[in-house]
Amino acid sequence: MRTIVFGAMTALAFGATAVSAQDYPSREIQGIIQWGAGGSTDTVMRSVTPHAEEVLGGTVVMQNMTGAVGAIALNYVADAEADGYTVLMGAENPMLYRTMGLGERDYSEFVPINLLARGTPILVAGPDAPYSTYAELMAYIAEHPGEVRFGSTGPGGLPSVITAMMQSVEGELDVIFVPYDGDGPALTALQGGAIDVMPAVLGAAIENIRAGTMKPLAIFDTERNERLPDVATAVEGNEGYSTYLPWGPFFGVFVHEGTPDEAVTALTAAYAQAAEAEDFRALMDTRGFTMMNISGDEAREFLAAWQSTTAWLMQEAGLAVNNPADLGIPRPGE
Amino acid sequence: MSALMDFLTVFTQPQLLLLVGLGTFAGVYVGAIPGLSVTMAVSILISFTFAWDVYPAISLMIGIYMGGVYGGSRTAILLNIPGAPSAIATALDGYPMAQKGEAGTAIGVTTVMSFFGGFIGILVLAAAAPAVSGFALRFQPRDYMLLAVLGILLVGSLSSGSLLKGIFAGAFGIAIGSVGMDPLTFTPRFTFDQPMLRGGINFIAVMIGMFGVSEVLLQLHHVNTPAVRQKISRIVPSFGTIKRYLPLSLQTSFIGVIIGALPGTGGDIAALMSYDHAKRITKNPETPFGEGAMEGLVAPESANNAAVGGAFIPMMTLGIPGDAVTAIMIGALFIHGLNPGPMLMIDHPDMFWFIVGALVTANFFMLIFGLTGIRLFVKIVEIPRAVLIPLIMLLSIVGAYAVNNSITDVYWMLGFGVFGYFMRLYGYPLGPVILGVILSRLLDDNWRRAIISEREDLGRFFSGIFHSPLSTVLLLAVVLIFVSQTPLWRLIRRRKA
Repeated sequence: MRTIVFGAMTALAFGATAVSAQDYPSREIQGIIQWGAGGSTDTVMRSVTPHAEEVLGGTVVMQNMTGAVGAIALNYVADAEADGYTVLMGAENPMLYRTMGLGERDYSEFVPINLLARGTPILVAGPDAPYSTYAELMAYIAEHPGEVRFGSTGPGGLPSVITAMMQSVEGELDVIFVPYDGDGPALTALQGGAIDVMPAVLGAAIENIRAGTMKPLAIFDTERNERLPDVATAVEGNEGYSTYLPWGPFFGVFVHEGTPDEAVTALTAAYAQAAEAEDFRALMDTRGFTMMNISGDEAREFLAAWQSTTAWLMQEAGLAVNNPADLGIPRPGE
Repeated sequence: MSALMDFLTVFTQPQLLLLVGLGTFAGVYVGAIPGLSVTMAVSILISFTFAWDVYPAISLMIGIYMGGVYGGSRTAILLNIPGAPSAIATALDGYPMAQKGEAGTAIGVTTVMSFFGGFIGILVLAAAAPAVSGFALRFQPRDYMLLAVLGILLVGSLSSGSLLKGIFAGAFGIAIGSVGMDPLTFTPRFTFDQPMLRGGINFIAVMIGMFGVSEVLLQLHHVNTPAVRQKISRIVPSFGTIKRYLPLSLQTSFIGVIIGALPGTGGDIAALMSYDHAKRITKNPETPFGEGAMEGLVAPESANNAAVGGAFIPMMTLGIPGDAVTAIMIGALFIHGLNPGPMLMIDHPDMFWFIVGALVTANFFMLIFGLTGIRLFVKIVEIPRAVLIPLIMLLSIVGAYAVNNSITDVYWMLGFGVFGYFMRLYGYPLGPVILGVILSRLLDDNWRRAIISEREDLGRFFSGIFHSPLSTVLLLAVVLIFVSQTPLWRLIRRRKA
């Protein structure tokens, strides 16, 4: 009862002050996290946001809103008032909604406050696999057609993008794709021998690589990763990858288009500073993410390029539901 | 020596002891409320304890986990509404006991057996974690599929009366479970172009509706019947009773540990399988199953608490979650700067023994809190129906909403409640529906994985089964259990005799 009365009183107080948006933030900001508690998006957002709160001098109440590959959360924020008090904390998935027929909206309706970091894809195999490098894997596939089992996680997920990239560079791969509902279960299956090769995000595999229960075959980046300096990049294996790389899933904070400049400026400054916090960078490093910390036009360009690369890879792999050309997504390099 | 010190951390630090106790206490009550799940409580705690040290945070979560798994049985016994899916089997015999005025005895037995099961789970975790996780990893998609088929065969034990009605209910459950966006191919199934159906039908909403609302509607038939007086003379079961059910409890605890340790299956399936096991091995129960058999309480309650220790096995040794709760806890370890994975036991052996210690403490707290509140708790059943019925209705609505903060789930819950009411009115069992929903994905996904891995060749699929001892054993179990439920079996036995 007391909370209800208190809530009503604060609501009244806000009603009085909300008219003048001079002092943003004048009340609690609601942060909607697109994915579940304990997941990577959740971890990233919950560790960076306290630092942003300090800079803002306000409170951000974070809530996980899952479902429909993140579309529930996206729609919620898009439908809320664009006043800077509802913030979307999400990952890369919305940039593929239109191509994959999962929804009508994506981040083009949003203002990127900060694209915090991106993940690096890595190709891993079981410890006893008869191949240890990218080249050996390709040779093995050629010699044993239809035998190597690749883990996948449904069209649009990281594994599907990486395999689409591989097929685009190397030509059709005669392998079996075994579908899993997430990279966690697929990496478990890899250790149990149910699948042979899995494209995963570095952070999800690094502990197993360290323990020797998984073997890294190639880093999907243009430069070697400092956490695994001995692992060659895909570009070293085949120059063709340089068209697509660097590519990776990313995390970002967004507000809806039409949010007052004052709020955008305050949030952008807060998250830019928060992303520099030492413990946040340390966390990103242990989880194998590469810091980006970009906003504004730079972030918009990144999003557009990401969408173009990925949507067209999906289209070429025959996985796209809607042709990116019809959606007005330019081909990479156009 | 240092292992012992780490194990004792919780006991020696009053703050941690307090947090485990607090968590367990909260867990018992969170678990008892349908719709408020342990998974949800632990996810809330993750943000709540973000700035804490790792030990206190984990202590609280472990308490909630242990208490919550146990708490689900409370409402199952008292109101026929399982607080969580893992308590569904408990309702089958627990509720009939409450109706006979023996709710106190029922809760007493479930508490002691949950404690015992929990203890076996922890013991296996402490003594044999690497071996068990190695075994769990060997389960291939086809083995999970066979396990799901084994589960489907439980329909026989869960349907008292007509088997045909049970099969119908089970098939209906499987159909419910397959609604929504298929997670493997992102193809919508049974969605009829309704965006609302894309995410599937929330299984907890189905459970609350089927058990809660249908119970409310059924109770309306006899609003004026006075409530059953509860005998509360005997709560702590006698030593003789405990001794009598100990072998069964031990067997089902091991079922619980193994099923719990398998990534992809958890306490819900473990409890149902154990119930089935109890029904199979108990030749002459004092009271028939479904009418208040003690064995029907002992088996699922031992198993679901043993599954807690089981779920930690792959988490601690491989960084692979054994169930939804341990999946969130892995996230918590990450947040607190640890790297859960195969190196955790080497980099942070203290964490392993600390968790074992916290689990032991939580288990003791569960026993204490479980046995102390009973007198008050059983009074719930004695509340006049005119008060109790609206209360259950309210609880069901709040519970269904709380799962996802979604009003759609409330509608589903109400719809399935009405449907469940008619099912019960016409003698269709509800257990198989929930069983079907739980197993739907396990069966479907793993069948597809298995057959895709074999290049969609049935011949290769079967030769794969016979090349793996594990798959062969599972297949044999499926065949044996299936045959034992057919007239053929009775024929063979009669001939022998």
